[in-house]
Amino acid sequence: MKKVLSVIIALPAVMFIMTGLRWLVDPATAAAQFGMPLLDGIGLSTQIGDLAAFFIAGGMFVFIALITSKRSWYYPPIMLVGFTALFRVLAWLLHDATLAVQMIVPEIVIAVLLLAASRIIPEHE
Amino acid sequence: MTLATIQGSSWPRLLLLAIVMPLLASSLPAQAASMSTSLFTESSERPNIVLILADDLGFTDLASYGSEISTPNLSTLAKNGLSFTNYHTAASCAPTRAMLLTGVNNHRAGVPNIPEMIPPQQRRHAHYQGTLGRNVVTVATLLQDNGYHTYMAGKWHLGMTPDLLPSRRGFEQTIALADSGADNWEQKPYLPIYEKANWFADGEETTLPEDFYSSRFLVDKAIEFIDSNHADDKPFFTYLPFQAVHMPVQAPQAFIDHYMGVYEAGPQALREQRHANATALGIVPASSPMVTMATTDDWQAMSAEKKRYEAKRMAVYAAMVEAMDYHIGRLIEYLKETDQYKKTIFIFASDNGSEASGLANQNTSLNQRVLRAQNYNADYTTLGLKGSFNAISPSFASASASPLAYYKFYVGEGGMRVPLIIAGDSIPLKNELSNAFSFVTDITPTILALTQTTKPAERYGGRKVEAIIGRNLLPLLNGHTKRVYAEQDSVGYELGGHAALFQGDFKISLNRAPLGNNEWRLYNIVTDPGESKDLSSMMPARLQNMLGLYHQFTIDNKVLPVAANYYAQRQVALNGLQQRFGSQILLMILTVLVVLPFYLVYRLSHK
Repeated sequence: MKKVLSVIIALPAVMFIMTGLRWLVDPATAAAQFGMPLLDGIGLSTQIGDLAAFFIAGGMFVFIALITSKRSWYYPPIMLVGFTALFRVLAWLLHDATLAVQMIVPEIVIAVLLLAASRIIPEHE
Repeated sequence: MTLATIQGSSWPRLLLLAIVMPLLASSLPAQAASMSTSLFTESSERPNIVLILADDLGFTDLASYGSEISTPNLSTLAKNGLSFTNYHTAASCAPTRAMLLTGVNNHRAGVPNIPEMIPPQQRRHAHYQGTLGRNVVTVATLLQDNGYHTYMAGKWHLGMTPDLLPSRRGFEQTIALADSGADNWEQKPYLPIYEKANWFADGEETTLPEDFYSSRFLVDKAIEFIDSNHADDKPFFTYLPFQAVHMPVQAPQAFIDHYMGVYEAGPQALREQRHANATALGIVPASSPMVTMATTDDWQAMSAEKKRYEAKRMAVYAAMVEAMDYHIGRLIEYLKETDQYKKTIFIFASDNGSEASGLANQNTSLNQRVLRAQNYNADYTTLGLKGSFNAISPSFASASASPLAYYKFYVGEGGMRVPLIIAGDSIPLKNELSNAFSFVTDITPTILALTQTTKPAERYGGRKVEAIIGRNLLPLLNGHTKRVYAEQDSVGYELGGHAALFQGDFKISLNRAPLGNNEWRLYNIVTDPGESKDLSSMMPARLQNMLGLYHQFTIDNKVLPVAANYYAQRQVALNGLQQRFGSQILLMILTVLVVLPFYLVYRLSHK
């Protein structure tokens, strides 16, 4: 059970790292995947810097959690993904953004899986 | 006005004169120049301009230049204006288009080569991106700012990102192919380096109609654009860069039928026939010799089946040329029906000489397998139709370029000398030939003069811009002069290491491998357009002088050298692979590098 869950949460972690790296290697494609134009100047710097850091750090947190088997390492990725889903809803409610259901649903699923993993996998508090 | 009348004036009048006279004096040279060059000084009406660009059309591919191909509409235009027999362009597509639309040398305009051929070490330089720079103004922008409607329908190939598309470079309504070429029957890439055929309408990605055939569609769109503003009194500028006759060479069956059986005598016979025709028409001097191109295969040694296949390849090519001419005729008819023809000036040219990159053996099982992977075939029965990939053989390309030497990409006359026709009811000279040297950068200043549009100053639209280097060809069109370049004027050119410099009647050229030997040659291209006799040993002083001018050209235009082992076609393949799959491969490698340490640590810690 633990092994299966480890593999299940490792997959989105790899995807996170790939997405982050894509922002570094091919930002135009990465931006298109997120439905945003590629900016220039400071905007481009922020797009690449923030988004690459978000995804690479998110993926690494999961790996560190798996390696250390410490529950506390699960909380950062849970918060990152969970808050992303929550703030997407707020963006829709407060700022007329599109309700990106196709992105919110996977984010909630991943957050729930990570939460479950944090309860089942860790051997240390 | 005499001194006495001035002396008799009151002081306010003197003051007024003092202000007005310098202004009048300063405007006089401009007015005089305008009167000596403008065809429209007697009429306040500015002409419409239709700029038509064929793709890879060889020097003698038009009937009026010696071809057996039926091009009656272009022949009619030739009779209604001036045909240039010593007009030169870049030997490749995008560099030509950059110079054509700006009047600026392509190296300065950001397009030293097509982007697909630029090696990584050159790409590090800002002016070696292969996309039209922001430091140049297009003729479309200048005309738009001067009250013209500006339209474009056809191949752009000067940049694909939104800010580089024609809709952001002065064209009001556009349908544009951003790639180097594409299928003529459907929205499909012609090379595996492209993921798709990138067509844009007014700057947005678009899809082509089901009944698409490139030449028909582009003329339909041009007519649609012109008609959309026909009601108002503004003149228009329409840029119509055809896909014809770039590979894949494709044409409707009805046109192919006209040429079945025409090419059974083979490419060398055709090359000789066209040479004779061009000589008879005065396109080349009567005594000008012609070399036999090394790429021309021995026709007699071929099997009957191979001859039949090669003859059909050329028949499809001829059909594609005729189809283009037919659709140009439809545009002319539309302009006549809507009473716009008489006030329209047509400029027709090719973007470079004939294309010899087609395979000598197109119908091999290996090539058929490669083509099948791209949903193409090269079957005899359907050659040129939808789903068929065709190109003329290098042998027939030598006939298309007849009587010139070399092809597209090379700096032989066969790559750089192409037809140019400027025609219209208001052109004073009719059915005349001009052997004056002219260059692709001359088109923009000529259009500006025809439309009474001012050249851009040092700054335009708030930014510093490159100066136009081309010459106004109106004095030739008016019959006021026999040449616009003086004997000592020089024009330099470089593309992927192939290099040339024109001066007076002479040209030095260096062609690289595989067809060239990397040595400088000197030719008199007026008496010997076929470049049969190298004069470098007979005129060493001239050669040295022209080499010095070429060296200065490379400095002035920041020409970068290519590596000794640079080979353009290989670079296209490498760049294509890198563009299509490079980032994915790099991404996979980086992901493995990042994830692998975590995995190893995980395995160690969970033993």
